[in-house]
Amino acid sequence: MVRRQWAWALIALPRVLFADAGATVAQPAAVDGAVAVSLSSADAGPAAGFANPATGLADSAGLRATVFGTLPQDIAPMPARVPLQEIDISMPWARPVPAVLWFDSRLRVFFSAQKKAAPLAIVIAGTGSSGNPAKMSILRGALYGAGYHVLTVPSPTFPGFIVSTSSTGVAGDLMQDGHDLYAALQRVIAHLPRHAPITDIDVLGFSLGGANAAMVKSIDAAEGKLQIHRVVMINPPVSLFASINRQDALFAQAIGPADQGVDDLYRRIYARLANFYRASNKVEIDDTDLLAAAGSVLRTDADFAAAIALTFRLELVDVFFTGDLYARTGVVIDPAHPPGVEDSLEDIGRRLRGMTFAEYFNKVFVPYYTAHRPRATAASLQADNRLDIIAPALRDNRDYYCQTNRDDLILDETELQWLQSTLGDRIAVYDHGGHLGNLGDRRQVADMLDMLAGRWPGSAR
Amino acid sequence: MRPPLAVGLVVLVLGGCATEGVSVRRLPDETPAADNAAAIARMQGAAAAMSGAAKGMGATEARSTGASAADAAGEGNTNASGASSGDTGANTPAAEASVLPPLTPGDAPSMYTYDPLERVNRFTYRFNARFDEHIFLPVANGYRRIPAPIRNSVHNFFHNLGEITSTVNYGLQWRLGNGARTLGRFVINSTLGVGGLLDVASRFKLSSQQTGFASTLSTWGVHPGPYLVIPILGPSTLRDGSGYLGDYGLAYGINMANLYRGYQSYGLGVVSAVDQRAGIDFRYYGSGSPFEYETIRFLYVHRDLIQDEALRTRGRHKPQDPGQPAGK
Repeated sequence: MVRRQWAWALIALPRVLFADAGATVAQPAAVDGAVAVSLSSADAGPAAGFANPATGLADSAGLRATVFGTLPQDIAPMPARVPLQEIDISMPWARPVPAVLWFDSRLRVFFSAQKKAAPLAIVIAGTGSSGNPAKMSILRGALYGAGYHVLTVPSPTFPGFIVSTSSTGVAGDLMQDGHDLYAALQRVIAHLPRHAPITDIDVLGFSLGGANAAMVKSIDAAEGKLQIHRVVMINPPVSLFASINRQDALFAQAIGPADQGVDDLYRRIYARLANFYRASNKVEIDDTDLLAAAGSVLRTDADFAAAIALTFRLELVDVFFTGDLYARTGVVIDPAHPPGVEDSLEDIGRRLRGMTFAEYFNKVFVPYYTAHRPRATAASLQADNRLDIIAPALRDNRDYYCQTNRDDLILDETELQWLQSTLGDRIAVYDHGGHLGNLGDRRQVADMLDMLAGRWPGSAR
Repeated sequence: MRPPLAVGLVVLVLGGCATEGVSVRRLPDETPAADNAAAIARMQGAAAAMSGAAKGMGATEARSTGASAADAAGEGNTNASGASSGDTGANTPAAEASVLPPLTPGDAPSMYTYDPLERVNRFTYRFNARFDEHIFLPVANGYRRIPAPIRNSVHNFFHNLGEITSTVNYGLQWRLGNGARTLGRFVINSTLGVGGLLDVASRFKLSSQQTGFASTLSTWGVHPGPYLVIPILGPSTLRDGSGYLGDYGLAYGINMANLYRGYQSYGLGVVSAVDQRAGIDFRYYGSGSPFEYETIRFLYVHRDLIQDEALRTRGRHKPQDPGQPAGK
């Protein structure tokens, strides 16, 4: 009999460490008190004190909220059951699938159908995320409970999207990704399984997905194929590149120079986890232990910053890999000899972990788009990847809404003010939550549903 | 079904996976309300475990010796899980742990994993992904539509059989308290629990904590060895794979209630495998990442190594040489 626990559950580790578990440390103050005793200063890592934090508007609490997410006791009321279908769909315009990415040949989206006629809510995931990360389940539950059909789709920066759906293979361009997403949504909606009629279409997105959602609506305003009604952006970036450069600076501060920094971080975590298990009396490591361990591993602001920066960097690694492969820019992948299914990618992965977004931009993104788009320059590409490009729509069309936090680390003061002045009474700014750290809490969900249903004070008639 | 026919079917299904167009698959319903309630409960349990372990860790890291440290560690352990209470007393392994210096970042093994069979392993990983996608997971998802009470009974039944090998392995690890507890659970659940269908023992505060031959080998000082991807079962190492074979051999040898012989053993094996798969929330290539193989390998082997650090402090073996690289 198969008795030993399969290690598969371990894929959940980063998620458990950096998101779900957060809850464990419900009372950060108490926890800090408990572990402060055992925290030697040498163990605090190279970045214990920030000279000039690259954390945008986030303070200590904002960093913690970002890592931990909404505590389960603060989650909005959820329905008992939500049906779920997975739809794998190929796109006729897809580029050839590289051997090493054979498993990403079709776009995977998730659909929850109501039994009677209802509006459809489409949710776009954040940077690097699939159509079904943990945060998505919360939104799906809230929206389904409020009577929507719910369709959740991956971010255009998710490898499964880049391979199956992107017309370029080089992700991160707001306009290009918006067009790919718009085309994919039309095809997906046309192929939704037989179900009750759709009465209206609204689009939501969190993090980068928020910017994608706004972009899709503005494209639809010109093309009119989906007749998208309202859009809610949840914790969107204003300038893609400013937000991402902030993450790179955070990485440099909290983790340090590339390879050495990641290795040091790994060693700190290893030692802390091992000491944790020695002290506990468990024989084999299980999920509950992981929850508890997360609280012992992440202690200082530097730890939380490192967790955020590393999570983001690992997403960038996938985008970089696919971009370099498709654009044939040869940064880490030799275009003449791309890796095969059975080749080790360890060295490529290690090199990419040390590379910043600036390197992706300069060595893959700019060469590709300047070659394929007339009159594009590095400066114009940077300017085009700001929400400003749809500023008139955001300002004048009363169907765009936004929710964000005063301590979101992907924004700075100027960007937050820009959002507020552009959207006016159609933005809700909460005091706490960091980046997505209040997603799914009662207030965020209630406001989101009001915005979608046109009940928000600043709604269009 | 004749074996050649079955093999032919598998080849057909796996070969035909480059399908075109659209496919729709029904997944088990999500239950967000219940999940959230469970998360609240888990959080409370984990918070208790954490404060317990933090105390224990404080004691080890303070590097103090003598009775007070042992007390502190002991106290930490009791709080740590609520599940573990086998080892208490002055000369328990936990007390030994408290005299060992805590690990420092310099003690961590290399991030890189010993994987001399990488090409074969990657091939097997891909086979497993396809097998899972087209056969294993659909069956497990179907199984998950059976009412929960029935599935729980099935799960309890197989879990109960596992108590036997656990008891023997606790003996081999010389952790007799845990062995006695596991044996107690087996006796109670096999009788009052109607042949293991009900987990009565947990209601008597005898919660489950199983072990296996892989952990025994670890306690004896055996290193994980090369990384292995086992067909259908998934990630493993030479040691853990041998441990698995050892456990199966032991169960086969004991042959409880003649469940391990004859045709019924095949059926039970399949049901057990489906029961396991249904309980694991993992999707091959759900990450979409080209580096999924590396990620899983890293997590698997380093979890093993961390587990070893804890197991060794309980045994009579010196801690692993800090300079020694992973898995060698």
